[in-house]
Amino acid sequence: MALKLMKGCEAIAEAAIQAGCRYFFGYPITPQNDIPEYMSLRLPQVGGCFLQAESELAAINMVYGAGGAGARVMTSSSSPGISLKQEGISTCAAAEIPCVIVNMMRGGPGLGNIQASQGDYFQAVKGGGHGDYRLVVFAPSSIQETCNLMQKAFDTADKYRTPVMILADGLIGQMMEPVELKMNPNPEMPEKPWAAQGYDPKGDRPRAVLNSLYIETEDLDVLINRLHERYAEIEKNEKMVETYHTEGAEYILCAYGTVARVCKAAVRILEEQGVKVGLVRPITLWPFPTETVHDAIAQESVKGCLTVEMSDGQMYEDIRLAVNGCKPCEFMGKAGSIIPTAEDIAERIMKMRRA
Amino acid sequence: MKEYWVMLGSFGGGKSEMSLNMAVRAAAKGKCTLIDLDVINPYFRSSERGDVLDAAGVELISPPYALKKIEILSVSPRVYSAFTRGDGTVIFDVGGDHIGAVALGQYKPNFDAIPPEMLHVLFVVNPLRPLCADFPNAMSMLQKIQKVSRLNITGIVNNANLAELTNLEHLKMGYELVKELSEATGIPVWGTSGRPEMLEQFTQYAEENDLDPAFIGKLYPIEVMMHRSWDKFLNEGL
Repeated sequence: MALKLMKGCEAIAEAAIQAGCRYFFGYPITPQNDIPEYMSLRLPQVGGCFLQAESELAAINMVYGAGGAGARVMTSSSSPGISLKQEGISTCAAAEIPCVIVNMMRGGPGLGNIQASQGDYFQAVKGGGHGDYRLVVFAPSSIQETCNLMQKAFDTADKYRTPVMILADGLIGQMMEPVELKMNPNPEMPEKPWAAQGYDPKGDRPRAVLNSLYIETEDLDVLINRLHERYAEIEKNEKMVETYHTEGAEYILCAYGTVARVCKAAVRILEEQGVKVGLVRPITLWPFPTETVHDAIAQESVKGCLTVEMSDGQMYEDIRLAVNGCKPCEFMGKAGSIIPTAEDIAERIMKMRRA
Repeated sequence: MKEYWVMLGSFGGGKSEMSLNMAVRAAAKGKCTLIDLDVINPYFRSSERGDVLDAAGVELISPPYALKKIEILSVSPRVYSAFTRGDGTVIFDVGGDHIGAVALGQYKPNFDAIPPEMLHVLFVVNPLRPLCADFPNAMSMLQKIQKVSRLNITGIVNNANLAELTNLEHLKMGYELVKELSEATGIPVWGTSGRPEMLEQFTQYAEENDLDPAFIGKLYPIEVMMHRSWDKFLNEGL
């Protein structure tokens, strides 16, 4: 196995290139600057194009253009920059443009800080842009998993003609871990007969129209229904979740991203103290693995669950919906980019036990 | 006698780690100043180990606003003082890649005034880092860094590592790479650095396989001082 020591941002960029991404449009913001920087060096080497746009909005609309022409395209930003991209993301969803958007979450709201956070769950999962659309959201917990998910993100975007977001906290972007990148000189690219690649009046291909404006109510209704059928398919096929030591557990921890790794350490600490605790880690935040979360927590052995996030409690709402009142739910949050420690989490579980 | 050490190399190659180790060791023998000249990355800089440096008696010159969690990355006017004052060791921990090395260019007149035997400019190589992993990339990095830093590199360091997963194979990769670089440029290999147990394994391997000592250089044991604070949180799920 050829391991490399890579910073998360570099690994994301390289993994995207290996997945066939040849176009990157973005605007600088910490802590994701290493992605455009790496892309600016590497994309010209593989015949691609890197362009620093004049703004986040311009970048996402360039993504719309490249994605609409059938290219594998990506943009990345960090929380405030992702807010600026929301209009374009909604438009991409409406015009059914496959593309990948990376959000290296930092502290918010507003300009917040430049440290890691998970405060953009609502924005990513519940639709930061306007209108009836969904965003497929992947939440990796290690640099290796982020690399593996990049290929999946591009494939999912193409398969369902939808934007896909990688929602990672700043930790993933800035830390260095050994990773193995599957080098793929000729990535497989699916046919895209719908793409706008130049109309041939003599050809038999219909004119490609990419649009998000439907003035007639009936027409918009057709689009929305089509999107919703597709979202139902995604919900059926694309859920990803990891369960860790959940069987017969007394308490279940719920967390995503790097916090889930902290929770794994807490599981081990508690096991050493003779307390059986499991972890459910959603990898897709939408579609949300409701059934797995429910089944892990609804087990007879489980007395309650604790959701841990680097936010003020966002995924917690989806956990509660999944649990649907069958067991007590508690939340432990650290906002302001403070990373909860395994010891804190273990202590909280012990407190729940004593209550 | 005064000595100047400049640490150059790819981002994440181990410059800060080497700088911290050198500084702490130099301070045990005399006066030592560590200049954190990294103006491109707000997260991983030797200034973060101010506590360790302070305890060791190292004078630290950081960029203004470093560690204030805001990005006004600039160089301190105090850097000039390091060129003028008396004795001791001065270590420049420079930002990664040729982009980071730009910060050195402005000190060319000051470096030019230093007698060559007092100036050591090291190019730290880690072949496990993607943009410095093979000869063409490492060579291109070395040339770009020399150009923008306006300094001649005087030694190459094999600092092959994959953080906690480092093994003998990595040091062997590093040996091959620094050998190739040294042969192509004529720049000597200054040393091989790593955790003591890795160096021990490597020395044994080198003896058994007749590696050329000229491309191993000095063995420089590293004690890990740079923070990898995520290890504290993320010891699971790699």
